[in-house]
Amino acid sequence: MIDERYRGMFRSLVRRLLLVSILPLLVTSIANFLLFFSLNRSIVLEQQAALVSYHRASVESFLLNITAELSTLARTYSREDLTRGDLERVFRVIQQPAGVFTDIGIFDSAGNVVKYVGPYDLAGRNYRDAEWFTQVVEKGVLVSDTFLGFRGEPHFVVAVTRREGGDFWILRATVNTDRFSSLVGGARLGETGEAFIVNSRGLTQTKTRSAALLVASGCPDLEPHAGIHVRRATIGGIRYLLTTAWLENPRWMLVFRQEESEAFQFLTKAVIIGIVMTAVGVIGAGVLAAVVARTQVRRIARADREKEALTQQLVATGRIAAVGEMSAGLAHEINNPLATIDTLQTWIRDLAGSAPISEADRNEILDSVSKIGEQVVRCKAITQDLLKFARRAETAPAEADLNALLAELAVIMRARARVEGVEVSTRLEPIPPVLASLTKLQEIFMNLANNAIDAAAGRPGAEVRIASRLHGQSVCVEVADNGPGISAEVLPKIFLPFFTTKIAGRGTGLGLTICQKLVSELGGSLSVESREGAGTTMTVLLPAAPLAGLPKTESA
Amino acid sequence: MSAGRVLVVDDERDFSSTLSKVLSRRGYAVDTRFSGGAALAALAETPFEAVVLDVRMPGMEGREVLDAIRRAAPATQVILMTGDLSEGAEEAARSGGAFAYLLKPTPIPNLVAVLDSAIARAREPGCGASHAGPLRGR
Repeated sequence: MIDERYRGMFRSLVRRLLLVSILPLLVTSIANFLLFFSLNRSIVLEQQAALVSYHRASVESFLLNITAELSTLARTYSREDLTRGDLERVFRVIQQPAGVFTDIGIFDSAGNVVKYVGPYDLAGRNYRDAEWFTQVVEKGVLVSDTFLGFRGEPHFVVAVTRREGGDFWILRATVNTDRFSSLVGGARLGETGEAFIVNSRGLTQTKTRSAALLVASGCPDLEPHAGIHVRRATIGGIRYLLTTAWLENPRWMLVFRQEESEAFQFLTKAVIIGIVMTAVGVIGAGVLAAVVARTQVRRIARADREKEALTQQLVATGRIAAVGEMSAGLAHEINNPLATIDTLQTWIRDLAGSAPISEADRNEILDSVSKIGEQVVRCKAITQDLLKFARRAETAPAEADLNALLAELAVIMRARARVEGVEVSTRLEPIPPVLASLTKLQEIFMNLANNAIDAAAGRPGAEVRIASRLHGQSVCVEVADNGPGISAEVLPKIFLPFFTTKIAGRGTGLGLTICQKLVSELGGSLSVESREGAGTTMTVLLPAAPLAGLPKTESA
Repeated sequence: MSAGRVLVVDDERDFSSTLSKVLSRRGYAVDTRFSGGAALAALAETPFEAVVLDVRMPGMEGREVLDAIRRAAPATQVILMTGDLSEGAEEAARSGGAFAYLLKPTPIPNLVAVLDSAIARAREPGCGASHAGPLRGR
């Protein structure tokens, strides 16, 4: 940017443009994020609930099937049949589809192993005190929790009792834990999402990727509940999302567990993408705002320069007009002595032409010659005053002694005022200097004085008073006339360019326009007070130069 | 017949008194006044064929004096003289009934020429209508 004042304009424009563009962007981004957040969350939760629901159904139907199968066997065959040799064949048949069972055995009511088909050597064992034995005797049908047993391997069994001839016997099969685990092991999501089953004490009943059988799952809140529950839990320092459902029989809990960070990873990604996109948007808006603001400010700066140039032209035109106005008075002041000189020289020629020259003629000639001398001195004084006033180049702002300038101006103006019959008086009080270029000050006060003289001219007792005084921190200069005053209709228009009440050729209508412009450039103000029939007072307030020295005294 | 009766009116005393002497030497009967008011008083006492009148004077302006002369003594021809020739001023002077409008400094021979034709105009029969009588009587 070109200039300090445009830099401020640029900054405020950028700020406003940013506000206008970024606010909607942020509102939209936040709204989108909230929408996406709730949508994504409900999708994740529904997906996990569906997984849990589906797998609970398949686990329940699996357990129901194998229990039913075992019950059918026990009711179909007698203890005799199976003990004698059919058990091996029956085991092979029920194993056929998928190797659901590890072993199968028949136990008498005292808990002794009657017959066993399987990989372990259980002959002669007695299970009277085993937990599963007590429970199956009590309930008739049992799906046990996973336990270690004599074999020292975690497993669980399905057992049914059969009454036969006043006694009962038990058919028991061990479920293949790998096969059972695979029922829920397939329910996986991502890296950490997995399903498993725990018993009512929280011990795992299926193998998982991360845990073996019969280990503490860390799942909190093992109170059975209906339906599907979702909760958050911190296990081993990691935050998990837990979706749980309880089985009817046995009272096991199906758990789907996934690290929260993974479950909501798309959400996290979406947030990051959202932040990045918003940031890109903000940066883009910033760049655009800067570009737009720069273009606008340049345009304004150009318009200002053009306006400045136009004003310069106005000032120049006005100066010419003011000088023209003044020169009419000056011409009169110089032509009058010239006319006197011309007449005197004719008179001398007349006297000198008659020979002989008498003593009286001689004295008359000498008197005329000295009168010529007086007229020359008069002309010289006028031209010197004019030069002192006019031959000043455009000067840089400096501490200007306004009183000296006003006194000088009054001398010049008196020459013009006298022929208009206007008295010019000054009352200059001590004032501090003002910071301004002399040419500008001259322009202002010459215009005001010209107007005042024009206004007062032709009225009896016509008078223009120029007064200066200190007014707070400002210097106040009043140029007052006792002319006809300005009517209320005309008053609002006097500062308009090309508005004039003077006759054609006398005024350009630029004087006050220029005055106002120059005064405001100097940080001051120009005001007018006028009463019709009583006169007009133009008041110029100019700020005193900073760090002003002692006020200077100037006598009128 | 004399060269003519002329009244010189100008607040520039050196100018008006010297001009009077110069004109007297050229045969005119010249009287001098330094203000408009004094000039009108002189005209009321004595008729003049021509008045050389300064336009800009303190007190009564030349143009007002012109109007007054035209009303009081229509036969008297008025030659206006001024130090500045502003636009339209000459036109205004002519319509105000001045015989001539001269810019100072006017060389004396020119002034004399204008003065002679003004006096000739003043002496034309019928000039100044009913008020011409007393003037011609002298």
